Amino acid sequence: MRLSEHYTRTSFYITLAVLVIGAVIYYFAISYIGTQQLDRALQQQLTEAEEYIRSNNGNPQQYDLDRDHAVFVKTYKQLLQKRFFDTIYLKPKEQRWEAGRAVEDLVKLKNSNYKVTITISRVGQKNLIELISIITLALLAGLLTVLFITNKYLLNGLWKPFQLTLKEIKQFNIADVDQFKGKPSKVDEFTELNEAIREMSLRVTQDYLSLKQFTENASHEMMTPLAVVTTKLDTLIQDETLNAAQLAQIADIYSSVNKSSRLNHSLLLLAKLENKLIVEEESIELDVILERKMLQFQELMQNKNLTVRYKLHPKQISASKYLIDILLNNLFGNAIRHNVPGGEIFIGLDPYQLSIKNTGIANALNGQQIFERFHKSKDSQGAGLGLTLVKNICQHYGYGIQYQYDEGKHAFVITF
Amino acid sequence: MKILVIEDEQGLRENITSYLNVDGNICESCNALTPALQKLSDYDYDCVLLDIGLPDGEGFGVLEYLSTQQKSEAVLIISARNSLDDKLKGLNIGADDYLTKPFHLAELKARLMAVYRRKALNTSSKLVFNEISIDIQGRTVEVNKNTIILTRKEYEMLLYFIANKGKVISKNAIAEHLWGDEMDMYDSFDFIYTHIKNLRRKILDAGGRDYLTSIYGLGYKFTD
Repeated sequence: MRLSEHYTRTSFYITLAVLVIGAVIYYFAISYIGTQQLDRALQQQLTEAEEYIRSNNGNPQQYDLDRDHAVFVKTYKQLLQKRFFDTIYLKPKEQRWEAGRAVEDLVKLKNSNYKVTITISRVGQKNLIELISIITLALLAGLLTVLFITNKYLLNGLWKPFQLTLKEIKQFNIADVDQFKGKPSKVDEFTELNEAIREMSLRVTQDYLSLKQFTENASHEMMTPLAVVTTKLDTLIQDETLNAAQLAQIADIYSSVNKSSRLNHSLLLLAKLENKLIVEEESIELDVILERKMLQFQELMQNKNLTVRYKLHPKQISASKYLIDILLNNLFGNAIRHNVPGGEIFIGLDPYQLSIKNTGIANALNGQQIFERFHKSKDSQGAGLGLTLVKNICQHYGYGIQYQYDEGKHAFVITF
Repeated sequence: MKILVIEDEQGLRENITSYLNVDGNICESCNALTPALQKLSDYDYDCVLLDIGLPDGEGFGVLEYLSTQQKSEAVLIISARNSLDDKLKGLNIGADDYLTKPFHLAELKARLMAVYRRKALNTSSKLVFNEISIDIQGRTVEVNKNTIILTRKEYEMLLYFIANKGKVISKNAIAEHLWGDEMDMYDSFDFIYTHIKNLRRKILDAGGRDYLTSIYGLGYKFTD
């Protein structure tokens, strides 16, 4: 639910509650005041009636004024508590029952007691309350409508800078040159937000740049000593006095230096991929590249007596030639290295996927672990980065990569 | 051949200089951009080995200087940065080749020779070593005037050996030269042996001498 909806809903409930409670209190207050007024009027009538009786000194007669209705009844009671009460009475002129307010009291005349009851109409007061209720309800409806419209249009407008900021954040790309700008807003909070995001993006971009710099520097710093070791070894082996045992040691050093420089290359490439530093793309005929790869690895395959079966449909992709080369080298290399002597390799390319399948050990590999950094089988010679590179290159281009196992055949399937 | 090595890492510079200083080559060196520009303005060289990351500026400055002065030195960049951008930039502003550190001295020498041949000797593209004569453009090899048919790998290997004649070359260096990035797919260097055996047999069959010596398990030497 959007914030404005939350806000509208909450304010709707609160307004409704306040107005309803207010209306109830209002109703009771008005009717209390109205009743008080009626009672005062009744008291006055009662006094007038008593005075009338005393001055006339005669029998109290039933008299009906315009509104008032007074009834005198002879009673033998000596004491009667004066009381006001709501009642219904027959209005003689119109001959219909009406709600009224009445007072009864005892009037003494000569030696006889009369109970006097005076009733006046309550209709006026009722009408007033009805009118007030209607006005209150209309006010309630009006207020809610205004609230709703305000929230819907005005508040939405108020949130516009926020939405613009959000849009800009979504489009923010760390590698882009343009920085986060943030439209100026009249609202302090949004200005503050934009300011904070701008600072953050600046910091992030700076960190990113220094990371990029680090990648380059690490390459330089690691490669130069490796180059020194290699060239020193190259110079050392020119010495004709070295014996076989010493040369064997040197050979081992060579292969270790070679391994570490390859490892370094792979790590740097991974870092570049993860930071999306490789942007160059060109159109590549994948089927042509695959045919070339088969030729390139022919020697290795022949050595292991492997048979290649392939079915290639023309397929064009847009990618970095360098990365695709690394990707295919790794997949081909694995298919050959982890094959059994006299085994087979199947290569299938169609517009949707590329699969490289090879015969191998009769156990499925762990489809999750094999793509992890530095995960490798016990007899593997590499650093365990090959398939990580493959996975990252696939991710870089939005391709899917999957490992499948089926009766001694291990397959890597790339879906475009 | 006169060579200028511009490299700030002392160990590397010394090894390169001593490795290249044979067969009448004159190899000079300097460790920064400023002395390099001074040397280039004072003397003419055939080849320049250029490191990009120099203490007083990027090596690209040398390339810019050479192109503004219209000097014809062949330039081989040796850089620790394996970045395609740098490679393209270097090649675009006049470098002839780009070698990434770490490299083998044999590889450096072979690349240097290739660059030099392309630049200076393109009129007569025959590379002659005793009775072996190689037509670089036609990619054909004659031994005692008999044409021998070499595979691509054998041909590249022969050129590599001749460029590094008299030097011991490790199997690592040979494998890296011939197979490049796929080298780590090879679990042993047996492949090299097969190719060397074939190359040696073809030269011997055509009446050539046996120049190849095996240096224990480490490598080979192509020598008179």
